[in-house]
Amino acid sequence: MPAIQIGSLADVPDGGVHRFDLGSVPLAVFNVGGILYALADTCSHANASLSAGEVDADEVCVACPLHGSPFDLRSGKPRTLPAFAPVATYKVWAEGDALFVEYSTLIT
Amino acid sequence: MASEPTNLEFDYTKYGFRQEENYLFKAPVGLSEKVVRELSGMKNEPEWMLKRRLKALEIFYKKPTPLVGMWANHELAELDYDKIHYFVRAGEKPQSDWDAVPIEIKNTFERLGIPEAERKFLAGVGAQYESEVVYHSLREEWSKLGVIFLDTDSALREYPEMFKEYFGTIIPAADNKYAALNTAVWSGGSFVYVPAGVKVDIPLQAYFRINAENMGQFERTLIIIEEGAEAHYIEGCTAPIYSTNSLHSAVVEIVIKKGGKFRYTTIQNWANNIFNLVTKRAVAHEEASMEWVDGNIGSKLTMKYPSVYLMGRKARGEVLSIAYAGKGQHQDAGAKMVHIAPETTSRITNKSVSKNGGKTTYRGLAKVAPGAYGAKVNVNCDALILDERSASDTIPFIEIEEDRCTLAHEATVGRIGAEQLFYLMSRGLKEADALSMIVLGFMEPFTRELPMEYAVELNRLIQMEMEGSVG
Repeated sequence: MPAIQIGSLADVPDGGVHRFDLGSVPLAVFNVGGILYALADTCSHANASLSAGEVDADEVCVACPLHGSPFDLRSGKPRTLPAFAPVATYKVWAEGDALFVEYSTLIT
Repeated sequence: MASEPTNLEFDYTKYGFRQEENYLFKAPVGLSEKVVRELSGMKNEPEWMLKRRLKALEIFYKKPTPLVGMWANHELAELDYDKIHYFVRAGEKPQSDWDAVPIEIKNTFERLGIPEAERKFLAGVGAQYESEVVYHSLREEWSKLGVIFLDTDSALREYPEMFKEYFGTIIPAADNKYAALNTAVWSGGSFVYVPAGVKVDIPLQAYFRINAENMGQFERTLIIIEEGAEAHYIEGCTAPIYSTNSLHSAVVEIVIKKGGKFRYTTIQNWANNIFNLVTKRAVAHEEASMEWVDGNIGSKLTMKYPSVYLMGRKARGEVLSIAYAGKGQHQDAGAKMVHIAPETTSRITNKSVSKNGGKTTYRGLAKVAPGAYGAKVNVNCDALILDERSASDTIPFIEIEEDRCTLAHEATVGRIGAEQLFYLMSRGLKEADALSMIVLGFMEPFTRELPMEYAVELNRLIQMEMEGSVG
């Protein structure tokens, strides 16, 4: 699987979130209880940055800071209006301290 | 028979009376975490609701007042949140017998004709006085079919799972500053559930009355129409006139499932010291139909844009609204249609009249998302300006992200033509009556959609507004 290193695991400590600017696709990487999730950072509704939103660890979602739609960190789907379109999700993992995402999906 | 033109302004006496304040509880003015905790505690709410309220309060504080254009910006700046009473309890609990309602409140609703309307032509009635519903009833024939029509506080207690499943999913607290405020301090409102296949063929009605000065009313309405079900809900709103401002900030969330049909009719006739800042949104699933019939006559500033998210194939949405702005009033009203699924259709018809220095704004959105092929959108907004001191703005947003769709937009702004007046006067009408007839004709697409009793009342109100328009 083609992959690209985007940073280090230290950028995303447990409970944290970090925005990575990669080409044309800003990426938000979340660490919820040691599990990593990566979403396209731009909300599908009004272009706010999801990495600035509040994470609900119990519900595994992030609320858009602008209008409040919670996006599921696993599927990228919004659970409430006003957003209705999902944001892209990416496979993300750590190898040692290095943080990788799947390469091909980011390039396209 | 033709009446003489007079210099009378709008005769609000039927609605503008006030009752002595004789309350069980009245929170001091101002908004704080303490007020929210107290309100939630008095209602014995579950912990999750208190958490939602407190979170929404944080959001309210963080969100700036929206910048929405010169007129509304100036008007919103006058709204002082520290001078509002956020919770006023007038009665013990919602009664199902008018005789059990406290006498002053019962007198209020009798003067407004609510018990009479209930006897004559309604399936159910809710009456909210200040922060809470004081009377609620549903005819037995509908409750036997599984229809639920309750005040929202009771629904949270009696149907907690269904309530939690839908509450805030159509309009989250962070949607806008006033939705956040409502979520923090909501109280009262209607909860409607119509089971699959049940068609409630006469209207349900709720009446919202503010009596106290510097009052904030924050009702929350949640409506669920199951597959193939149908219903019509009507709301009316009035308040006494005071020299200081009051605030009405409601949130209405509606879900219509496959093949369901729902109509929500509003006759808003608030006194001219009320800020009416309301968020109303519906979701229409496959082949469902949602209609907003929205009449805005009163208030100091109304900002209201009922919306329909057309989520399922062949869903249909309609907003038919009128706005009438007289002296010191600004009606900033419109509609939003969001086409998400294929072959969805929508129609927005907005009519506004401004007179005597009043201002009207049409503000709307027509959006077709990628993949909503075959969508058809029709937007029609007409503004009538009756004198040189009055004004109207039209602010339509159109976002089309799908090639295979059709959108038609028509807008007109104008004054009443001298030829029209001359024609009617040549048939023997006095100028004031001719003017009134033209305005009522202009609004007729709206009034013909109302139940007869409401159409007659609305025409009478507009005729009263028109008095003094000539000379």
